[in-house]
Amino acid sequence: MTYRVELDKDVCISSGKCVADAPHFFRFDADELSEVVADPPELPDTQLEAIARGCPSGAITLFAGDTPVSID
Amino acid sequence: MPATITLTNVADAREAYRSPDLRQGLYDAGEVVMADVLVNLHGDEHKRRRRIENRLFRRDTFDYYENELFPEVIEATLAPYAQQGRAELVHVGHELMLNLAALTAGVDRALGTPEESARLHDYMMFFIEGATLAHSTLDRAERIAAIGEQLAKWDAEFLQPSMNRRRSLLAQLDAGEIDEAEVPRDVLTTLLRNYDVLGLRPDIVQREVAFMLLAGAHTSATAFVRTIDAILGWIAAHPDDAERIRTDRQFVQRCVHETVRLNPSSPTGVRRALAPVTLKSGVHIDEGDMVIIDLVAVNTDPALFGAEAAQFNPYREVPSGIGPFGLSFASGAHVCIGQDLAVGVVPSADEQGHHLAGLVSVAVHWAFDHNVRHDPAATAEPDKTTRRPYWSSYPVLLDL
Repeated sequence: MTYRVELDKDVCISSGKCVADAPHFFRFDADELSEVVADPPELPDTQLEAIARGCPSGAITLFAGDTPVSID
Repeated sequence: MPATITLTNVADAREAYRSPDLRQGLYDAGEVVMADVLVNLHGDEHKRRRRIENRLFRRDTFDYYENELFPEVIEATLAPYAQQGRAELVHVGHELMLNLAALTAGVDRALGTPEESARLHDYMMFFIEGATLAHSTLDRAERIAAIGEQLAKWDAEFLQPSMNRRRSLLAQLDAGEIDEAEVPRDVLTTLLRNYDVLGLRPDIVQREVAFMLLAGAHTSATAFVRTIDAILGWIAAHPDDAERIRTDRQFVQRCVHETVRLNPSSPTGVRRALAPVTLKSGVHIDEGDMVIIDLVAVNTDPALFGAEAAQFNPYREVPSGIGPFGLSFASGAHVCIGQDLAVGVVPSADEQGHHLAGLVSVAVHWAFDHNVRHDPAATAEPDKTTRRPYWSSYPVLLDL
């Protein structure tokens, strides 16, 4: 299983934790808000869960298929 | 009549911290320093300022602090105490962390004299008192007046000259006379550059910089003393670990995390309900209710931290998804902006680049590298002016 990642820029507070944790997967846009790079590499689900959990604003949502994954 | 609802488990606490309908309430008594500062903002106003200030609080900056800037600051600040062979850790910890927090906040010390640093230290202690007035045992009205007076004096002596220097540099930058690299990367400069965008006023800038000074110095200084106290107790019972403390910084970091878990900077988080909220657990909060997040209970939950959760144990393993420091830095958008700076990043198999152990770990490691130990001629004293568990003095001996 590989999760699909959605990042809500309206919620992002630009902490940069996701970019620091996975710089090949996330980057900053021109407004220094995080976004997923085009054609991101595959990351282990456990790493994506940790990154989503570590996002202070809860801007990152993981999906298994169309179903949001609970990271609590 | 509004109710007070106490949350004692991590799931409820996390949900409360992330709820947009629960706003910060911890600093209601400390408005003299805390009004309109970042941690007291809510909603879009908080998001706008946090997005801009977060640019200064990222891991690449912390890596620079920890590996390049801070070792020099530690050596310059602490070496004289090692030469004397003794130190009072509460003062030393604040002096050390203030030296770094002043750089982060953007407070210049134009004279560079010990007397000037001592005055800045004294001002900071007033600001700390202001921020923690909710737990004060002294006359609150009298203290608010005294703290406000000190804030004004600090503004004139330190903030205005710091602001004038930055304004001048920004004007030179706009005129193409200097490069971006010559402009400080600190909170004050960031606020000046975004003054209109953020709708700031002089009094807000004053309190925001004062807050960054006290928050950067005080929480780390307190964790510094407490961790040394905890480790001294640990190695008295586990002498085989004494060498590991001196040689293994990640083990020191585990000690810091364990200390911070057991001693959150504030023992409670406080939120006020702007609208009715029902947590997933079924706990209902009405508009106007006060929510107390009991961080001591959350951080010592045996279901997460084991049967001896209230004991210091740097070998403790915690379940996936739980920070080794519990919720001491809060959670959600208001999570402590300096968390990674203070206590580093929890080691993981996926970690990239240098490992960040955090400034508290670096400072504690320095102390044990200089054989920090209790001073048999003097005992540590608790601070009786606050209900928070602080030391007022902690005398130690050091070797060169």
